[in-house]
Amino acid sequence: MALAAAPANDRKRVKVYELKNNDWFDRGTGFCKGVLLNDEARILVSSEDDPSRQLLETKISKDDGYQKQQGTDTLIVWTEQNGTDMALSFQEAEGCGAIWEFVSEIQQRLQQINDGLSDDVIENMNPILLPPPELGNLPELENMMRAANNSPAGRDALAKFIVTADYIAKLIPLVEMAEDLESIQDLHRLCNIMKLLILLNDSAIIEYVVTDEMILGVVGALEYDPDFPCHKANHRQYLSDESKFKEVVKIEDQLIKKKIHYTYRLQYLKDVVLARILDDPTFSVLNSLIFFHQVDIVQHLQGNVNFLKELFGIFGAEEQNLQRKKDAVLFIQQCCAVAKSLQANARATLYQNFIHNGLLDVIQFALKHQDASVRVAGTDILVALIDHDALMVRGYIFKAINEKTKPLTDTLIELLLVEVDLGVKAQMADAIKVLLDPNANSASIEAIGRTNSDFLAKVRGGISAIPQTDSFIQNFYDESAKKLFQPLKDLEGRKSMDDLTIQEVSLYSHLVEVLCFFIRQHSFRSKYFILSEGLASRVAQLMLCPEKHLKLTSLKYFRTCIGLHDEFHNRQIIQNRLFDPILNILFETMPRDNLLNSACLELFEFIKRENIKAIIIHLVETYREKLQTITYVDTFQNLILRYDQMHEPATTQEMDNSFTTQESDTPVRNSGSVNCGRWQGLKDADAEEEAYFNGSDNEEDDENLPNAVKPVMNGASPVRPLVNYPDDEGDEDAMDILSSSGPTVSSTQSPSPSSSASKQDQESPATSPAARDQTPQPTNPAQTPLERLSEKRRRDDDEEDELAKISTQNSKRRSSASSNASATSTAITHGHMLRRKKTINSGKDGGGAPKKMAISIGVKSGGGESNGEGE
Amino acid sequence: MSSGGSDLDKAIQQLRACRPIPENQVRELCYKARELLIEEGNVVGVDAPVTICGDIHGQFHDLMELFRVGGDVPDTNYLFMGDFVDRGFYSLESFLLLLCLKVRYPDRITLIRGNHESRQITTVYGFYDECLRKYGSANVWRYCCEVFDYLALGALVTGTATNLEPSEAPFADPSSQASMPGLDQDIEIETLNSNGEIMFRFARNGEVSQPSQAASAPSSSPLVDTPSRTGPSGTGATSSSNGSRGNDGGAVLCVHGGLSPLIDTIDKIRLLDRKQEVPHEGAMCDLLWSDPDEIDGWGLSPRGAGFLFGADIVKCFNHKNDLSLIARAHQLVMEGFKEMFDSTIVTVWSAPNYCYRCGNVAAILELGEDGSNAGFVRRANGDAGRKQNSVLMERGERGREGPGRRYRVFEAAPQDSRGMPAKKPVADYFL
Repeated sequence: MALAAAPANDRKRVKVYELKNNDWFDRGTGFCKGVLLNDEARILVSSEDDPSRQLLETKISKDDGYQKQQGTDTLIVWTEQNGTDMALSFQEAEGCGAIWEFVSEIQQRLQQINDGLSDDVIENMNPILLPPPELGNLPELENMMRAANNSPAGRDALAKFIVTADYIAKLIPLVEMAEDLESIQDLHRLCNIMKLLILLNDSAIIEYVVTDEMILGVVGALEYDPDFPCHKANHRQYLSDESKFKEVVKIEDQLIKKKIHYTYRLQYLKDVVLARILDDPTFSVLNSLIFFHQVDIVQHLQGNVNFLKELFGIFGAEEQNLQRKKDAVLFIQQCCAVAKSLQANARATLYQNFIHNGLLDVIQFALKHQDASVRVAGTDILVALIDHDALMVRGYIFKAINEKTKPLTDTLIELLLVEVDLGVKAQMADAIKVLLDPNANSASIEAIGRTNSDFLAKVRGGISAIPQTDSFIQNFYDESAKKLFQPLKDLEGRKSMDDLTIQEVSLYSHLVEVLCFFIRQHSFRSKYFILSEGLASRVAQLMLCPEKHLKLTSLKYFRTCIGLHDEFHNRQIIQNRLFDPILNILFETMPRDNLLNSACLELFEFIKRENIKAIIIHLVETYREKLQTITYVDTFQNLILRYDQMHEPATTQEMDNSFTTQESDTPVRNSGSVNCGRWQGLKDADAEEEAYFNGSDNEEDDENLPNAVKPVMNGASPVRPLVNYPDDEGDEDAMDILSSSGPTVSSTQSPSPSSSASKQDQESPATSPAARDQTPQPTNPAQTPLERLSEKRRRDDDEEDELAKISTQNSKRRSSASSNASATSTAITHGHMLRRKKTINSGKDGGGAPKKMAISIGVKSGGGESNGEGE
Repeated sequence: MSSGGSDLDKAIQQLRACRPIPENQVRELCYKARELLIEEGNVVGVDAPVTICGDIHGQFHDLMELFRVGGDVPDTNYLFMGDFVDRGFYSLESFLLLLCLKVRYPDRITLIRGNHESRQITTVYGFYDECLRKYGSANVWRYCCEVFDYLALGALVTGTATNLEPSEAPFADPSSQASMPGLDQDIEIETLNSNGEIMFRFARNGEVSQPSQAASAPSSSPLVDTPSRTGPSGTGATSSSNGSRGNDGGAVLCVHGGLSPLIDTIDKIRLLDRKQEVPHEGAMCDLLWSDPDEIDGWGLSPRGAGFLFGADIVKCFNHKNDLSLIARAHQLVMEGFKEMFDSTIVTVWSAPNYCYRCGNVAAILELGEDGSNAGFVRRANGDAGRKQNSVLMERGERGREGPGRRYRVFEAAPQDSRGMPAKKPVADYFL
């Protein structure tokens, strides 16, 4: 310590500040010096008025966090041991520099000394040494372990000791001893100890406990959970049942075989034994151990030529054991499930090897299997394969077509039509969609893209333009689509729709759903196909059946068509008078408030809002009187009004335009921009024109906003989802409905990327891969200033209102930090209120409050990816 | 609909024992439920009396505890505000039991959709895995998801009573009785513990020995909402405590999450086509995802879906729609329930010790029937038809008095009533 030289102690004039209540409090002006006293370094400031008075005397320690303020060169700030923030403001930069040098040197020295010590600390001062375990010293052991568990260093030391001393092996015999003695207390202690050791979250310990030698003893101890004093679990019995392991093909490599068992045991620990008590770190350690094992296993198997030969050989003619074939399918299904988490390259090799050995035949075999569970597995494998690389699968289908063998598409279609298991049917319909989805991700494309980014850019621009996908879909419409939709076509001429079987109903709904998917995905091919097959009328025919959900599905088809703003579809609907059945549904359900009725209303609201002229003209000219009778909502009166306005002299139209600034004749895809507030929603049933204008005035009052602003603001935020997710037919309108609620609303309509990035462990719909695509939305330009505005407002609140501070701060934290924090803060604010209530209750259950605090803090710290507390 | 039948009763019995029913029964159940739900509006009309429950999250044993505390179906009418599945280990049994009860007693139980009743969310937070484990295929998950698409988005409770008939229950802490309002006063709020003992009682005129009410934080306490006896003119927020008015407590909107900037009247919810996966944005998404917060107006939600909305939004919406209260779930509250914004909105949370480790208590909210007559009979559920279109109400005066609210607070089911909660292990393994 004496090595550090005290700085030349000419007098450095300095002001001493202390941070009190967020304000720097001036402790006075004086002269500063650094001194070394008894091997301790100190900074002293003596008052300039009274040199005998010390304004400051502080010992320099290694982690006080001294900082020299950048830029000014005259300010040093630090935090005292007791947590007080201090600052020295020097008159001259020179004096500041001298003291700063002194502080830095002392701190460096202290750092070195401590580093030298710290190794000793772990090895000499803090080693954990536990006596060999006996039933007699279990209470003592448990306490010692708990004590060690309280600090990170203690946990490390404990884990180290447990591993080196092979301590778990010594504990295990005690379980049986305690069982023989029927000493439930000892068993509970052993369980606690075992839990504690596993939750040390040391992967060496966790890997050790699942070995053959340890596992039964370990779970044996865990059978006696003191949280459930009247229960004993039967983990040992479950895990020792070896029949659960199905070895379809003998696995020669003993290491791999072991890993398979370890994986199973890890899973069992995670799901059953520890399910309730797992903290997030241990949860993720278990998960990653399982993952790495599985990767090893799959990698080993897929590279093992003999193994694959035997596995796929099971599907050959020689194999007589049907159960074995079934098991082999399930085995492959599991491989494919694991493969999903492999890296793209490894996964590609795996599938190549599998296909090379005959995976596609296996799929064909499985899809036609009489056992529904095997058919499910078959579709699973197929979907996994398509998900992995749709181009490749299509390539194989092409090959089959060229070789005049039955392509997979046709197999799927045939099976969909005859499938009796409704669950499998649904899955097959999904598989058909995935197979024909031009946007399906493709490993091949990604692979090409990696070497040629231009190509990738082009591909991203329009995947459907890829010749192969295109001709694949063309081929589908030429050959297979007819077979697929034949049942719909056969409806023509059917006299009664009252006698559909459950099978038929389910088939028709799947077909209509697939059709909806097609018209969205393959616009022009599907259009001409639907026209030439006359499918629109057949779908409309389904609305005559008594099954309401099928009516709904069929209605949804028309909603999808109209949502495309495609004259072609509209014309077909108009020419075939397909609004007849739709209006029938509306009238059937009319006074009631139910799903079908809402779906109808939504359709007409959409037509009205989007101002789809051709349809409005058709509707009003064909059904005017009918529409006039519908008065329980104003949608239909407004439709008529729109029609009338179209046919009124220009003056009225001009007036109209002055109100709805963005009206235009061309249909606007980006519907957000046409939503002028006053067209929206339900007003009083008698929507006379008068009332209608008044209505808009009212709304203006409600919103406190000049009406003219609205369209502009609405127009400014047409953020549309970029994601293409399976069931989004209604999405559009759900979003666009009634954006009349004022500019603040539109400005916040889409959470900005930055905000979604900050949500950390909160659950959000963005957790799925599909949603992830959506996250990088363009930030709405209108958003930022308003956001700032509201933030500013919050800050103002802070200043105004002392009492409200707690809650406002909470809300700030909530918006920036995770929901855990918000849960905690909520708990705190409310806890505060509750304590006040308790004064009335004479503190009946006063023990609750501290407990809650502790627990919510626990929750807060445990924010892992999979266990976030957002609810 | 008298869809009784012994099969259904058997299924209910089996599920009450926390044993899953076979796949084909699930399929039929879902089919029947769909027929039923398709007839419900996006906002279901519900008559008081009714018991409103928040998130369940697959905590089957705690759901049983809820029924013990709140009364069994069909003796008690229930309204569950979504999030039946995920997180807990018995999502399947919990949801199927509720669905069975719905099919068996359609007028006694109402289920609305939560943000977890969605394909995307359930694949991440456990329900999908659970179905796969318990049935070996995703079929059951598919059937359930199909039902999710048909669930209503909200409910509107009408015919509530302004004042509670005080429970004839003992006080949890007898010494506190003196400080509680007497029975001659109008009871607005009562909190009961799981033994049915009164923990707290609050009179509408606020005469509780409760110091420094005015100084309390502007949130979260049922105590601060007391309208001063002489409110500023024009607000109508006066409260007279004399005489029995037989006034009905106004309508209560129940949704899982909260309000949407795209929805300013309840009628606009009717214009949604709800049969779809929960979208990532838009009105339907907001109803299931938003949260109230101490802010002005609307704010971005840290959840990445829905919005935050402040007191002004709630008050304006309630006024415009003549609501006295919004009940919602969606957020963990340690005390089981939490009133905010002068008791214009309440969060009800019904999953005690959430995720088996949060240490919170749960609550359910009972709204009484507007008796108007002296003989107040709890649970007198006449089969009177539901009110027609109570949605289209005239704009009411400002400052409705809220309904009388009885919260029953309960803790996690005692450990012995259940086995050790755990997920079902993987049955066979190849890898």
